[in-house]
Amino acid sequence: MHDTEFEMVPYKIEAREDTGLYNAKFAIWLFLASEIMLFGSLFSAYILLRVGSLSWPVQSEFLNVPIGALNSVILVTSSMFIIRAWSALKADDFKKFQKYMWLTITFAIVFLCFKGVEYAQHFMHHEYPKTSVFLALYFLLTGLHALHIIGGIIVNIYYVGPGSRLRAINKQWFINRVEIAGLYWHFVDIVWIFLFSMLYLL
Amino acid sequence: MEENPNKIDFKRDILIYLGMISLTALIVFISHLKLKVLGTVLIVGIASTEAVVVGYYFMHLMTKKKTIQLVLLLTVIVFLSLLFWPAWDIGYSPRPPSEYVGN
Repeated sequence: MHDTEFEMVPYKIEAREDTGLYNAKFAIWLFLASEIMLFGSLFSAYILLRVGSLSWPVQSEFLNVPIGALNSVILVTSSMFIIRAWSALKADDFKKFQKYMWLTITFAIVFLCFKGVEYAQHFMHHEYPKTSVFLALYFLLTGLHALHIIGGIIVNIYYVGPGSRLRAINKQWFINRVEIAGLYWHFVDIVWIFLFSMLYLL
Repeated sequence: MEENPNKIDFKRDILIYLGMISLTALIVFISHLKLKVLGTVLIVGIASTEAVVVGYYFMHLMTKKKTIQLVLLLTVIVFLSLLFWPAWDIGYSPRPPSEYVGN
């Protein structure tokens, strides 16, 4: 990319006067707001169906609480790693950035593996989304969350791999992009905190 | 001699991380106590605290501009409306369970 192309879109690095934010950061917060609406409506549907139901299973007997708790620890740890990656990048330590990004990605993949184990356990017991309202909600909510994790993994792999070439064009621009990816990743962590509490423990 | 700000951030992040793990362990423990309504309130309360901590420190909401806070305030209002709409509907339009059976 040439310098002229880089200059064409303003506020990629410096903050706008009116919002006090650079474009991408404002955009990711709007996106996260829409994501809150999406998961909010699904949580709302869960509450409506649970409160309006004649009977409801004891969720903790249906689901594997130890695996769910372990997955919570794994996601919080990966959130911690992506912060360290961003801090390393700000300190201009690219090797450290790569190390922490790969740790974030690895933990995310481990999370998905444990989720896969849980799903396999359900399928072995012939428990499918069609089996009950609770299982339909469980598969919908956790499946949607898993898709978000996969999306995050793809973005993180891009930034640690080919996307890191942007650093050669403009370091701050690349730092900003990693910050955006980090904000998304923390959001995915927050969603899991609520999913674990509502589906596994209540 | 002043301490390196990166080191201070690292220490703070580690403390928050350990706090988050402890809170996760706490809600699992509370769920085993079978406290019914109190347990539900405590679990949702602690989960919300965890979410606020992640937002406040990890997502740096403590230092964010008013624009983001306004976007989030609007979102929270809509989110809470979505969350409590069903409760309102059920509370003000009571239908006995028999109405659901066989329909």
